[in-house]
Amino acid sequence: MAPTLLLGIDGATFTVLDPYMQRGVMPFLRDLTARGVRAPLRTIMPPLTPPAWTSLMTGKRPGRHGVFDFFQKESADSEYYAFTTSQDVRSATIWSLASAHGRRVISLNFPMMFPPPAVDGAVVPGGWMPWRQLRLGCHPPGLFDRLKRLPSFDPRELALDMELEAKAIEGCPDDEYADWIRLHSRREERWFEILRHLMTADEPAELVAIMFDGVDKLQHLCWRFIDPACRPDRPSPWEQEMIDLCEGYFRRLDALLAAAVELAGEDATVVVASDHGFGPTRDLFHLNSWLEQQGYLAWNDAADGAGEQPRIGFAEMTRHVHELDWDRTVAYAATPTSQGINIVSDDRRDALRTELADALRQVRNPATGRPLVTDVLTRDEAFPGPYRDLAPDLFLALADGAAVSIVRSDALWQRRPHPNGNHDWQGVFLAAGPHIRAGVRLDELSIVDVAPLLLYSLDVPIPGDLDGRLPVAAIVPERLRTRPPVAAPAVWEPAPAASDVTYDPEEEATILNRLRALGYVE
Amino acid sequence: MTADPRILADVLAMVDELAGDWEYDGEITPDTFFLADMGLESLDLVVLGTMVQQRYGRLPFAEYLAEIGGRPVEERDITVAELVAFIGERHAGVGVGEA
Repeated sequence: MAPTLLLGIDGATFTVLDPYMQRGVMPFLRDLTARGVRAPLRTIMPPLTPPAWTSLMTGKRPGRHGVFDFFQKESADSEYYAFTTSQDVRSATIWSLASAHGRRVISLNFPMMFPPPAVDGAVVPGGWMPWRQLRLGCHPPGLFDRLKRLPSFDPRELALDMELEAKAIEGCPDDEYADWIRLHSRREERWFEILRHLMTADEPAELVAIMFDGVDKLQHLCWRFIDPACRPDRPSPWEQEMIDLCEGYFRRLDALLAAAVELAGEDATVVVASDHGFGPTRDLFHLNSWLEQQGYLAWNDAADGAGEQPRIGFAEMTRHVHELDWDRTVAYAATPTSQGINIVSDDRRDALRTELADALRQVRNPATGRPLVTDVLTRDEAFPGPYRDLAPDLFLALADGAAVSIVRSDALWQRRPHPNGNHDWQGVFLAAGPHIRAGVRLDELSIVDVAPLLLYSLDVPIPGDLDGRLPVAAIVPERLRTRPPVAAPAVWEPAPAASDVTYDPEEEATILNRLRALGYVE
Repeated sequence: MTADPRILADVLAMVDELAGDWEYDGEITPDTFFLADMGLESLDLVVLGTMVQQRYGRLPFAEYLAEIGGRPVEERDITVAELVAFIGERHAGVGVGEA
């Protein structure tokens, strides 16, 4: 069977790709568009990497797959948050479904893949997978040691290094931008070299998937150098250098996408998709401070501020636990990324939802005079499904790409001097292949429609409980007539994790002897 | 020292193997601090907790991290022995490698 190749581009938007395609910076994507199908791809709420890629991988919305954020409430009523992992994905995925039907899988750099699922094939997880522990995320056993022998293999640049990641989150001095951009070009190369190795040295895989995430990271920090509408009219020499470096990144990415398609062969079905779109952002809304002003939240003045450690980790996960006065708090935001408010009081939950939603709709952006909050949804409205109680009680959509901050601030609203990039609703979808129509532009598709298309391409039955529908307008009619999609019963299965790292008795005995010698064990 | 020696050996074996990948060449003992000595980021500890729970079953790791996160900044760290003691006290009698 010819492979189905999924090329994920985190945060890709036609706002950026179209000008690069038109100017010849991304000729491969331009040609792929001409010989295939193109559509804007509507993401889920919140437009955030973990839930959005999980929706792409499951064909379901968050209320029905259970992933809402980078961090996840321990239980519906808990104020404690845990790191969201593959074990929180409460649905079959394209990986598990393909593998269950005898299709080999290669999955590289996708989030929510740690601990790695026990698929037939190879998994190297992405997302917030720290480089020091990448070994634990690789499947099958022995893969990490194989990859270590590749000349290009460098876990520190391949996976997450919080020292480097902090730059995208907190910004960085001007003299570090160039290295930051170049790092992501190298990082994409390193992921591609793993793909090349697995596609040429291993037995063929039917579902081959790789995600390039530098687009998201560059767009956060460098939006003003990437989006033609935001570029400076008369760039300084330094600004021009950054514009050129960003363009170089996209040029190289285009070449890697082309090389991946060439490896897959001319009979491959190629799907390019992003998890969400991107747009400019200047405004920051201090949500917890607004809740305080409205009388719903009180700070614990005795708390030793977690804000002194801005890097992501347990301080970030537990900030609210210590910084809030729980006797006087009835509503709070636990993470900025969830764009959500949790309500503490069970007795007044419904009334508080209504009160808060009404009050939030009155908030105005002081710079524009327009509403800052464009929509407020209850979790029942935003996340229907069996896992909605793990989501915040209220979800906010903010105007003009504004971002939420949860830290304590005297100002409720802040405007940045330069536009940064932030996630928005409309990502990209491109597809091409022997069974995909050529030169067709479709109206907006949903991110949950991608999984049914991938399963159809793999000749795997499509479970009946997906939120997504097979985008039949993308498929050659003759193919649909001769190979109609096969429906399957709804499947629920917990994603089984691959066996964890085990240590043989001899190794444990050696360590015990060492500890005895040191006096730690009697 | 009350740590379960088998859990201690198991955790040390895991950390030893990982440390080889990040070229940490110091000796890792029960008194070694994950952040201050081994140079881990706190997210490393969060992810290590995922692996520990896969091995020993569900633990109140989020509460444990919250307790650490509530300490003064300079004390937000744990030793190998402290992690082992936490696992030993909280895991529900699941044997090593049986989770």
